Amino acid sequence: LREEKARRRRARRQAELRALALGQGDFQLLDQAGRRRCKADFRGQWVLLYFGFTHCPDICPEELEKLSRAVALLEQEPGLPPVQPLFITVDPERDDVAAVGRYVRDFHPRLLGLTGSPEEVRAASSAYRVYASAGPKDEDGDYIVDHTVLIYLLGPDGLFLDYYGRSKTDAQIAQSVRRHMETYEPLLD
Amino acid sequence: AEKMSAPTMEERKACWGARDEFWQCMDRHADDASKCEKLRRSFESRCPQQWVKHFDKRRDFLKYKRKLETEGYHPPEATGKS
Repeated sequence: LREEKARRRRARRQAELRALALGQGDFQLLDQAGRRRCKADFRGQWVLLYFGFTHCPDICPEELEKLSRAVALLEQEPGLPPVQPLFITVDPERDDVAAVGRYVRDFHPRLLGLTGSPEEVRAASSAYRVYASAGPKDEDGDYIVDHTVLIYLLGPDGLFLDYYGRSKTDAQIAQSVRRHMETYEPLLD
Repeated sequence: AEKMSAPTMEERKACWGARDEFWQCMDRHADDASKCEKLRRSFESRCPQQWVKHFDKRRDFLKYKRKLETEGYHPPEATGKS
């Protein structure tokens, strides 16, 4: 009976996620090597995605370190598919390909960083309903970008399956991702 | 004007270290900034101006939160209203 209830709860959640269909639509961005990457390139892969910016005082490095540790924990488990760590900037004006390259190399070795034109970046962030708002510039032209702080889990069909806030630890994220992998059913036919 | 590069990981850590030393000094001296001038200058020199402002606001917020947790919330007195 408990199994039946769990199955029904999962089916309800699947229906909710299908209706929400967060992360539909394509994006066309550039990675830190200047290669074109579109959303379809990640089809078939599990992805942990974080939106941030390289001039971020502390939150982005902390969240990216946590994301990197979660990926490393999952790598230690035999039989699990690999997880692609992904960073997308919310500050395309400053975070060009070179800036993103300098930034991502301090984190997980497989961390991919994406940027593009302001329009392309805005399209990607709004597909995931990410809020981003650049603050006022100081006399050096420096500014902070206020933005949603979440790590998104994307399933192999590219749609959003779960999200993790600041209070979730690397171990909690890894455990959640493992559970999703074990119970995964494609949201799209 | 040339785009300013974002701080590197080493620069970030140097900034956070200077911030933490300044905050520890402030904690020890009940937020008397005059007792921590040297560390304040060190903090300001190691962090971008925007980050100094951001961390100052963070400290104010944390203090306010601690105050709420220990003293409770006292709504401001209503101004004379009929």
